[in-house]
Amino acid sequence: MTKEKIIEVISKNIIENLDDLENETIDPKKSMKDYGANSLDMIEVVSCSMRELNIKVPRAELADIEDIEQLADKFMEHAEA
Amino acid sequence: MLKNMELHVDENNIAHLKMNDVANMNIFSNDFIRGFLSAMDELEANYKPHALILSGLDSVFCAGAEKDTLIDLSNGKIDVKDLLMSERLINSEYPIIAAMEGHAMGGGLVLALCSDIVIAAKESRYGAVFMNMGFTPGMGTTTLLQGLMGDFVANEMMFTGKRFKGTELAKKGTNINYIVPKKDVLTKANDLALQISEKNVKSVYLLKYSLSAKKKKLLIDARLQEDMMHKLSFAYPETKETINSFYAD
Repeated sequence: MTKEKIIEVISKNIIENLDDLENETIDPKKSMKDYGANSLDMIEVVSCSMRELNIKVPRAELADIEDIEQLADKFMEHAEA
Repeated sequence: MLKNMELHVDENNIAHLKMNDVANMNIFSNDFIRGFLSAMDELEANYKPHALILSGLDSVFCAGAEKDTLIDLSNGKIDVKDLLMSERLINSEYPIIAAMEGHAMGGGLVLALCSDIVIAAKESRYGAVFMNMGFTPGMGTTTLLQGLMGDFVANEMMFTGKRFKGTELAKKGTNINYIVPKKDVLTKANDLALQISEKNVKSVYLLKYSLSAKKKKLLIDARLQEDMMHKLSFAYPETKETINSFYAD
């Protein structure tokens, strides 16, 4: 699985789970908060993306993630494991 | 009254109860439950409001059970205090409008199910999240959720534990009265309460009494089946583990 693919899936789920982002291009250097996500929106985006990518990351490991790229990196770790 | 609740009755005889436990984000701590029940006591003892608007924080309407309570339950200590809140709302003499600006999860969502009119926010999320933690739904969810969401959406919410965004629920076509932008939730609630306040309060109470009969019965039914399911599902050895990982800080 490539990091680009992971970012693509996360971006798609951000657009689906947040309002008014239909025509937006998601910048992986940004946080979901920059796109208006509240904490539960973020949980939903993460769990939808994990289901789609067939990855399971324990909650505790997700606490310090600051932007979309870091989330993708975290997913990569678990995809390869 | 405890600091975690704000109660006042306005010049139109509309009661406003704001669940305002900022520090704990409106979870069912013992203090929270005590504060809620004592606010309801005060309302009943000193006022005869036309209606009650029940609101929460801007971010969280009510987050439901706290971890310690669930761990107690998984250790076989049966605690029914949160059920008192469902009962209290359903047995109230006046109509209740749940004005949910923020998220409502688990038992927090049940507070809305026990109300008469429900307003949700487009931006916030609403979930019957019990099964995410390994145990079956409680507080009346299994018989009351259908009324607000419809049978099949209720099934989906209970089985998946998904936290649905207000905008998603709006598309699904539930029985939620209004799903509006967060900033308009209280305005809408006030407008509805004002319309009720123009009616004869004695007839309002009579109507409430008759309409709540069905829900009182549903809550009794729920209690029977939910208590039994809780005895079983809280006793599964994996449930405690799931609760712990769910609340990982």
